[in-house]
Amino acid sequence: MSAHRLVLSLLASVLLATAVQAQAPLNVKVGVVTSASGPIALVGIPQKNTVALLPTKAGGQAIDYILYDDASDPTASVTAFKKLITEDKVDAIIGPPGSPNALGVIPFVAEAGVPMLAPVGTAAVILPMDDKKKWVFKTTQNDGLVAAALLDQMAETGVKTVGVIGTADPYGDNWLKVFSEGAAKKGIQVVASERFQRQDTALTAQGLKLIAAKPDAVLIAAPGSSSVLPQTTLYDLGYRGKYYQTHGAALPDYLKLGGKKVEGTILAAGGMLVIDELPGTDVSKPIAADYIARYKKLYGTVPATFGANVFDAGLLLERAIPEALKAGKPGTAEFRAALRTALEETRELPGTQGVYTMSPADHSGFDQRGLHIITVKDGKWALVK
Amino acid sequence: MNLQVAMLLGQSGITSGAVYALLALAILLVFSVTRILLIPQGEFVSFAALTMAAMQEGRPVRLGWLLGALCLAAVAMDLIASVRARRRPAVSRPTLWLCAWAAAATALSMLLPLAALGHAVQALVTIALIVPLGPLLYRVCFQPVAAAHALVLLVISIAAHVALVGIALFIFGPEGARTEPFSDAVFTVGPALIQSQTLWVVAVSALLVGLLYVGFERHLYGKALRATAVDRLGAELVGISPDLAGRVSLAVAAFIGALSGVLIAPIITIYFDSGFIISLKGFVGALIGGLASYPLAALGALVVGQAESFATFWASAYKEVIVFTLLIPVLLWRSLARTGVEDEE
Amino acid sequence: MRRLSLAAAAIAAVGVAPLLLTPFQVTLANNIGIAALVTLGLVLLTGIAGLTSFGQAAFVGIGAYAAAYLATVVELPPALAWLGGSPWGGLALGLALALAVAVVLGAVTFRLAGHYLPLGTIAWGLAIAFLFGTADSLGGYTGLSGIPVLSLFGVRFDSGGRLLWLIWAVLLAALLVTANLLDSRQGRAIRALKGGQLMARSMGIDVVRAKMAAFLIAAAFAAIAGWLYAYTQRFVSPAPFSLGAGIEYLFMALIGGAASIWGAVVGAAVFILSKEWLQDLLPHLAGRTGNFEAVVFGLLVIVLMQHMPDGIASAVRRAARRARRPRPPSPAAGDTAAPLPMRAKPRPGEVILDARGITRRFGGLLANDDVSLSVRAGEVLAVIGPNGAGKSTLFNQLSGVDRPTAGTIVFRGQLAAGSSPRAMARHGLARTFQHVRLLPELTVLENAAIGAHLRGRKGLVAAMLRLDRREEAQLLAEARRQLARVGLAARCDDRAGSLPLGQQRLLEIARAVAADPCLLLLDEPAAGLRFEEKQELAGLIDRLRCDGMAVLLVEHDMDFVMGLADRVFVMDFGREIAHGRPADVQADPAVLEAYLGADA
Repeated sequence: MSAHRLVLSLLASVLLATAVQAQAPLNVKVGVVTSASGPIALVGIPQKNTVALLPTKAGGQAIDYILYDDASDPTASVTAFKKLITEDKVDAIIGPPGSPNALGVIPFVAEAGVPMLAPVGTAAVILPMDDKKKWVFKTTQNDGLVAAALLDQMAETGVKTVGVIGTADPYGDNWLKVFSEGAAKKGIQVVASERFQRQDTALTAQGLKLIAAKPDAVLIAAPGSSSVLPQTTLYDLGYRGKYYQTHGAALPDYLKLGGKKVEGTILAAGGMLVIDELPGTDVSKPIAADYIARYKKLYGTVPATFGANVFDAGLLLERAIPEALKAGKPGTAEFRAALRTALEETRELPGTQGVYTMSPADHSGFDQRGLHIITVKDGKWALVK
Repeated sequence: MNLQVAMLLGQSGITSGAVYALLALAILLVFSVTRILLIPQGEFVSFAALTMAAMQEGRPVRLGWLLGALCLAAVAMDLIASVRARRRPAVSRPTLWLCAWAAAATALSMLLPLAALGHAVQALVTIALIVPLGPLLYRVCFQPVAAAHALVLLVISIAAHVALVGIALFIFGPEGARTEPFSDAVFTVGPALIQSQTLWVVAVSALLVGLLYVGFERHLYGKALRATAVDRLGAELVGISPDLAGRVSLAVAAFIGALSGVLIAPIITIYFDSGFIISLKGFVGALIGGLASYPLAALGALVVGQAESFATFWASAYKEVIVFTLLIPVLLWRSLARTGVEDEE
Repeated sequence: MRRLSLAAAAIAAVGVAPLLLTPFQVTLANNIGIAALVTLGLVLLTGIAGLTSFGQAAFVGIGAYAAAYLATVVELPPALAWLGGSPWGGLALGLALALAVAVVLGAVTFRLAGHYLPLGTIAWGLAIAFLFGTADSLGGYTGLSGIPVLSLFGVRFDSGGRLLWLIWAVLLAALLVTANLLDSRQGRAIRALKGGQLMARSMGIDVVRAKMAAFLIAAAFAAIAGWLYAYTQRFVSPAPFSLGAGIEYLFMALIGGAASIWGAVVGAAVFILSKEWLQDLLPHLAGRTGNFEAVVFGLLVIVLMQHMPDGIASAVRRAARRARRPRPPSPAAGDTAAPLPMRAKPRPGEVILDARGITRRFGGLLANDDVSLSVRAGEVLAVIGPNGAGKSTLFNQLSGVDRPTAGTIVFRGQLAAGSSPRAMARHGLARTFQHVRLLPELTVLENAAIGAHLRGRKGLVAAMLRLDRREEAQLLAEARRQLARVGLAARCDDRAGSLPLGQQRLLEIARAVAADPCLLLLDEPAAGLRFEEKQELAGLIDRLRCDGMAVLLVEHDMDFVMGLADRVFVMDFGREIAHGRPADVQADPAVLEAYLGADA
C-alpha cells in the first residue's frame, strides 16, 4: 500500500519538477562525451584528458566545455547527448570515442541540429553522406585512408599476401573491413583473417593460423596496448615476415611492452610519433609539438594519438566559431546551423595530424599529407624516408 | 592441422588451462568452506600482475590505499559489532593481525627500491600485498552475512567484483601491462618450442593441485574446514570457528590468485578488467568438475584450456561462444544423471 | 476499488508526464521504464521464486536485435521474410527466440542446485553478447543503425513523449499482469519455491515447471523491453547487452526490493537517476579517472545485502506495516463460491497404504530393515521409536521423497514405491513437516490455499488475464473452510510468520487437508507444543479420523500418541519391535527396553 504511495509520490515529484531554465547563454557551450571506463577507456581517457587543453576562447567569445562520461555504453552516449542538447543547450558536441556510440547518437544530433565532432575511426559516421550525417564531422583520418597508405607501402615493398588479425570490437571490425576492401583494389591478397579479445590469455591459435597461411606480411589492427600481444606471440612462434600495425599502436606503451620483438614494425599515423624528425616545413609540426608539450606538462605522459583527435576538434571549432558568430548568438539554432556550415567550409586548417579541408561530401577532410609511414628502430619511432 | 600445430595448440591450451586450474582450485576451496562463489577471484590475479608491472616500471604501487581502506572498514565493523553485542568496544585479534600485515606489506612496497631488486623480491612483495586482500574482503563483505542464503553471498560476490574492477581502473589505469619473464630460456622438445615460463605455470599448478588434494581430501584439518560449509553451528560446537575458516580460505584463495598473476604476467598482457573472464573460465572448469573434487576441477579447467585453444584455431571469432556454451552439455549431463530435484542448502 | 484507483492514478500520471517533463527528463523516464520492465522480470525470478539470473541483458539483446534485424536488413532469409517490415514481426521473433533460449537454459539447470542457474546465465549471457558482436549479419561490434520510427496502428512514435506513453503503458500492463499472477494459484506455486522445494513438491507443485514459468516470464519481459529499446534508440550494438548490463539489472532489482513488484520501478528509477547524479558529482570529488559509479553501486549493493536484503521498497513497506492499524478481515467471499469437486472417498476400514518389506540401506547402514505396515481409512496409526530408530527414513519412503532399496508400497491399490512426492500428492497423500515449512510473508489464507494446488486447473495465461477468478474463489473458499476446521478462521489475513508455533502447525494441517487427501502423514506434529496446544491438536486429529481420513503420524511424545492412536507401531534400529493397540504396546517388554534401557 505505502509502497504504492511511494511510487506515486516519486512519479508526482518527477512530474512536478519543472525544468530549470538555463540562463541565456553568453558563452559558446561545447559538450564533450568521453568514455573514461569500460572497453573503450583506452581511447576515451586520453581524449578526456585533452579537454583541459582545448581552446577557451574563439572570436572574442569564451567557450565553456561540459564533460560527460558514457562508460563505453551506447545507451549512455545517447542519454548524455540528449542531456547536452536539451538541458545544457550546447552549440556543438565533441565525442563519443566509440564507433557504435557515435553511430547511435547521429539521429539525435541531426534532429536537434547540433554539429557533432566525432573522434572515431570508422568512416561509417560520415559516409554515405546524407541529411543526418551532414551534422557529423570526423576528426580522425578515415581508417580507409590509413589503410590505403599502408597498402601503398606494402605494394612498394613487394608484399603480395597479408594475414590480418584484429580485435573483436568495433575497431577491429572496421579495420578488417576497410583493409580487405583496399587490398582487393591493390591486388594484395588477404590470406588469413583472425580475431582476438583484448583480455585473451593466449593467442597461439590465431598465430598458428596466420603462419599456416604463409603471408608475406601481417597486419595487426588493435587499439592501444592490445596491439602488442599478437605481435609478440607471432614472433615467439617464429614468424619473421613483415609486421604492420595501425595507428592504434601509436603510443609509448607499445614500445615498452613489445621491446625488441617489435623492431622493424611499420605503421601509418599522424606525425606526432616522430615529431622531431618532421621537416620544419610540416605545418602540423608546431601544433603537434605544442599539444604534446602541454599534455606532458599536465599529465606527465605523452598522449596517445586518440587524444589528438579531440584536440583537433577544438581547433576546428576555434576556426569556425568566429564565422558562426556573424550569423547569430550562441545558443540559437541559427548559430548552430552557421557553425555547421562554417565547419563544412574549413579550408587548409592544420591540425595535429594533418590538414583539414572539408566539403559537403567530405566531412573528414584529410588527405595523405598528414600521414607518415613510421617504423620502430632501436626501440624508438622513426620516420621511413 | 599437422602434428606440430596440434602440439603448439596443446601447449598453449595447457598453459591457459593451468592458470584456469589454479583459479578453479581457489574457487572450489572457497566454495567448499564458505559456500561463496568467489567471482572476485580473478581480481587477485589482475591486481597482482598489474602491481608487479608497476614495480618493474618504477611507478608507485598504489594498492596500499585499497588495503588501508579495507582495514579501516574492518576495524570499524569490529567496533560496531562489539558495541552491538554490548561489549567493550574492541577490535578482534585476527583483524589486528591483518591490519599489521597489510601495513607491513604496504610499507615494504613503498620503501624498497623495488625496480632495482630482482624478480623474486618483487614477486614476494606483490604476493604479500595481495594475500591480506582475501581475508579483508571476507571480513568486510561476507562475514556479517556468512550464514545467509547462498544467493545472497553470490550477489555480494558479484557486487564486490564490480566495485573492485572500478577501483582497479582508478589504481592501475586503462592500459595493459606485462612483466619481464623470469627467464628467457626456451626448450625444444621434438617439433615444439617450450618457453620456460610455461613450465613454471604448469609446475606450480600441478604442485598446488596435489597439496590441496592431500590437504582437503585426506587431512583432518582440511576436512574440518569443509565441515563448516555443511553445518556452521555444528562446526562451531566442535571448536572450528567458521569465521576463521572463511578468512583462511580467502587468504589461500588470494595467495593462489596472486601467484597466478605473478606467473602469467610475463606471458600475456593484463588489463584492469582481465580478471573476470579468467576467473569465469576457472568457474566453468570447476563446474565441469562438479564443484566437488580438486582433481576433477583441475581436469575440468584443463579441458576448458584445450577447448579454448582448439576452438580459437578453428573459429577465432566464436571462441568465447564455444567455451561458454561448453557448459550447457555439461549441465545437461549432470541434470539427466540426477533423478530428483536438488534441494537448496 | 484500491486497484482501480491506483491504476487510474498511474494512467493519469503517465498521460500527463510528457507535457510536464523536460525532453531530457522524458529520456530518463523512458530509460527507467525500459529498465523497470526488465527488472520486473528479475523481481519475479529473484525475489519471488528465489532464483536468479545475471543474463537478463542477453534476453533484452535478443529482443532488440530481433526488432532491429527485421526492421533494417533488406534481404531477409526466406524463412523470416514474411515477418519483415512490421514491428510486430520483430516482437514475435524476439519473444520466440528469447523463450527458446530460456527453455534450453532452464531445462539444463532447474534440476540442479540453486547456484547452477546464475552461473549458467553468466556463461550464456557472455556467449550471447559475443554472438551479437561476431555475427556479420547483425552488424558486428559496430551494430545496426537506421532503425525506422516505430509505427503501430497508424500512430508514429517519433517523439520521446509518445514513446514514454508506449513504454509506460507496456510497463503498467506488465505490472498488472504480474500482480494478477502472484494473486493466483499459479502465482502461489511460484512463490512456494522459496519455501523449500520439498514443501512445494509435497503440495503437488511441479517445481521445474514453476521455475520455468518464472524464468520464461522474466525472459519475455526482457525481450519486450529489448524491442522497446531498439525503437527508442533506433540503433543497436552489442555493448548494452553485455554481462555487465545484466549485473546492473540485477542490482536494480536488489536495490528496489526483489520481493515487491513495485520494487522494480523503484529500483530502476533509483539506479538510473543516481547514476546520472553520480556521474555529475563524483569526478569532481575524486578528480581522477575511474569507474566511480560502479564502485559506488557495488558497495551500495554489498551494504544493502548485509542490512536490508529485501531492498528499499520492502523496507518502506515493512515500516508502513508497523505504523498501520490492522486491516479489517476480508469478507468471507467463500460462501458464494461453489465447492470444489472432491475425490471419491474410500470406504471406512479400507486399506489405504500398505507397505511390505521396506528396506533402506545407506552405504553400510541399514536405516530400515524389512518394515511392513498398513493404514486404513478412519484410523490413526502412530509410528514411534527412540532417536535414530529409522522413523524419519520410513516417513521419507512412504511419502515418496526417497526410494526404498527393497520392498513394495501400495497406495490406494497402486504400486507407489519410489514415486515422487508430487505423484503421491496427486493420489491423495498429504503431509506436514517436522520443521514447519510455511511461507512467512504470505497470509494464512494464501498458505492454506497452496495445499489445494492440485484441485485447480487454470494456467498461467488465465491467471495473468484474471480469467481464473471463479476457480480462484473456489480455492480460497476451500482454504477458508479448512482453516475454519482447524480453528484458524479468525486469522486468515494475518501473515503466516506472525502465528505462534502451535497455530503454525495447525495451519500446516489445514494446508494438507485442503488437498482433499485420504491419507494424512504428520511428522512429529506435537514437537515443541504446549500442553493446551497438544490437546487442541489431538482433538483436531480425532475429528479428521471421524471424517474418514487415514492418519499416520510419527511422534516422539508417548503420552500424546497413547491417548490418540488406534494402533501403535514401534521401531528400533530400523526394525519393527512391536505393533498393536496402545495399551498392549505399552506393556511390551521389547518396547520398555528400547525406551528405558536394558535394566528396566
